[in-house]
Amino acid sequence: MGAGKHAGKILILAEDACAYPGADATGQGHMSYSADTYILRVKASVLFPEQFYLDCFSKGIAGIIIMSCGAETPYPGAYEALARRIDRVYVLMKERGLDIRRLRLTAICTVCTRAFLKEVQQMQDLVCQLGAPGSEAAAAPAGAAKALQEQ
Amino acid sequence: MAQKKKPALAPEPTPGGKVGVYVCHCGGNISDAVDVEQVCAQARRVPGVVVARDQMFMCSDPGQEMIIEDLKSGLVDRVVVASCSPSLHESTFRNALLRAGANPYVYEHANLREQVSWVHHGPEATAKATRLVAAAAAKAARLKPLEPIRVEVQPRALVIGGGVAGMKAALELAARGQAVVLVEKSPFLGGQVAQLQELAPEGETAAAVISELAGAVLGHPAVTVYTCAQVEGFEGYIGNFKLKVVRKPPLGATYADRLEKLSKSGQGLGEYVPFVGVMPATIPESPEDFDLEAGVVVLATGMRPYQPRPGEYAYKNFPEVVTLPEFIRLQAEAEGEGDTLMLHGRPIRGAALIHCVGSRQIPGIHAENEGGYLNEYCSRTCCAATLYAANLIRDRYPQTKIFDFYRDIRTYGRGQEELYTQAAASQVVFFRFEAGEEPQVLKNPDPQGPPLLVQVKDVLTFGEELEVPVDLVVLAVGQEPNNIAGLVQQMKIPIGADRFLQEVHPKLRPVEMSVAGILLAGTCQAPFDVGETCAAAGAAAVKAAAILARGFVELDPFVAEVDLSKCTGTGACVEACLADGALSLVDLEVAGQKVRRARVNPVMCLGCGACVAVCPENAINVQGWTLKQFESMVDLIVSDEYLEGA
Repeated sequence: MGAGKHAGKILILAEDACAYPGADATGQGHMSYSADTYILRVKASVLFPEQFYLDCFSKGIAGIIIMSCGAETPYPGAYEALARRIDRVYVLMKERGLDIRRLRLTAICTVCTRAFLKEVQQMQDLVCQLGAPGSEAAAAPAGAAKALQEQ
Repeated sequence: MAQKKKPALAPEPTPGGKVGVYVCHCGGNISDAVDVEQVCAQARRVPGVVVARDQMFMCSDPGQEMIIEDLKSGLVDRVVVASCSPSLHESTFRNALLRAGANPYVYEHANLREQVSWVHHGPEATAKATRLVAAAAAKAARLKPLEPIRVEVQPRALVIGGGVAGMKAALELAARGQAVVLVEKSPFLGGQVAQLQELAPEGETAAAVISELAGAVLGHPAVTVYTCAQVEGFEGYIGNFKLKVVRKPPLGATYADRLEKLSKSGQGLGEYVPFVGVMPATIPESPEDFDLEAGVVVLATGMRPYQPRPGEYAYKNFPEVVTLPEFIRLQAEAEGEGDTLMLHGRPIRGAALIHCVGSRQIPGIHAENEGGYLNEYCSRTCCAATLYAANLIRDRYPQTKIFDFYRDIRTYGRGQEELYTQAAASQVVFFRFEAGEEPQVLKNPDPQGPPLLVQVKDVLTFGEELEVPVDLVVLAVGQEPNNIAGLVQQMKIPIGADRFLQEVHPKLRPVEMSVAGILLAGTCQAPFDVGETCAAAGAAAVKAAAILARGFVELDPFVAEVDLSKCTGTGACVEACLADGALSLVDLEVAGQKVRRARVNPVMCLGCGACVAVCPENAINVQGWTLKQFESMVDLIVSDEYLEGA
């Protein structure tokens, strides 16, 4: 699956109760995906403030996939709080000329191997298309840059 | 007098951290795809890393000793092990740190097998492994020693399921002095085994096994049994599970057949009735519920036989096509003592047994069920059960011929190959078919002959197409897990691609679920025969008893912690907290001044970190998972400075 592409690093925040075992299950099935993915095991993604995501992009991370437990989270209310925070991150990303598709909030369960692969592939395709973080604003013509802001 | 030498202990960790990196080859599982030596070489260039070593199996005694030696000598005071998933060996290596006299929480795990070598190959696998190791080392350098949270254990086990596995587990727990509550959703004890007569391969009767187990369970003072009962509420953690159990009358006519059979048998409560089981108590007239606290939960929710679709091998098209469990009951209830098996007053001169029905299904060849699933696994037990039935018929009814249609014969266990040998000696006629070329069951066009015709392309005669007229077709159906979607959802427990419950590791942590304190017994985990079921139930019971007997559990101290030197008392964390009572603002005296500051109740804290994100001063963090640690990990993932040639 696109193993030859090296468009930029993708950070995956994988929650310990669901997505991280889901990533393990993908490995147990020997299902290949882009090696430009770096999985951080987290208890709950709600831990990360808005600035964390912006800093990641500043450091050169091309895409971030938050693989949460969704409504199945062991921390009631965490997913809703996370979703509200990501909405705020999107606003800040737009202000900085970052394509908001670089940050994706999704839910992956312990056996969601196909969904895991699909998310990784989609993000890889996107970062291939967009290039390094920040390049979209620089490269976009004036009209497109305005459209980017309005996403 | 000689003095006992004190064991050497690891020195206290230094604030900066002296990180040791230990990379596992996993016997080639990792090193076949990742250049382990290169990972070590580059890891030595990561700030804070003082040593990086590799080992064929880091989880082996020599591997663990290597880490312990480095800790005791003071060479390292933080440890990163790069190996398989942390779900397998994180606790192994934390225990190694404990044995070295070090704090078990100055440890970080890098997952190089499931998330690198099994999914990537070539130089990119090594490069990714290096970055993950570097990120883990960066986190490790910021780890602090922590103390586990100790909580008392509720001195009770809950066993869910009243089949052989559940009863065996309950008895083994009770025998170890533990109180047990067993809940069974049907009105009966005995499960699927009660639907059988003789058990392959040894031939003991289901009646004897269930009567003995049920009698012992119902007679044991430490075991409380609730039938018609289901778990409908679940929360808590190992040592302190809180459950809501509901007893209610069965829906509709779910058990009408069995209740009628029980009524006709003249047997009373607590007595075994063939093809019914043991009914220990009357059915409740109306729903009633109660709360239950338990330290451990044993799941023994069992299996169900595969139910062929109408038309699959002509099932339901002809009354002469039955499943093996249906045949066992028909045969047990058959009357007459002649040389020929008689069913419903009809002589069975020839019977076809067809293997692998609902098992070993192949995508693209076999049809998915209504849920979109295929049973790609082998149900393991059906070959022996089918051959046992063949031998039984040949032995009791020598004029009944048996034709056995198989893909492969899998008589894998003790006493099972003998069944195959005996069947061959008893003149059972074997036919072998390929997947995708299963036998066809048709109406026999000869009105003078038996009612059915089985057509097969027989591998044993090099593809000859044969027709076998028979009076009966028996489908050797496989095992499927019972539908326990509700429990799976409530308990957040993993299921495998085969829909059976998934243990953590078949060799390293058998019968354990990834949710601590929940154990597996029997066929909820995989197709087992009765002997294997009892072995698994015994294993689950012993592990459960070990948890209860200890009296307490130690939980990871991954809860929020306030840095009072940074906290300004904004209260944002209290507002964001998702657990009632976990965070509050309290009055404190700092430098002679009264101030309000955040305080964590560690027992109530979930450790989710919702408070961390909102603190403007980053004055609150989850111990062991701090924001700074994650930021450092990202720094090392994007950095090229430690890479060779950079």
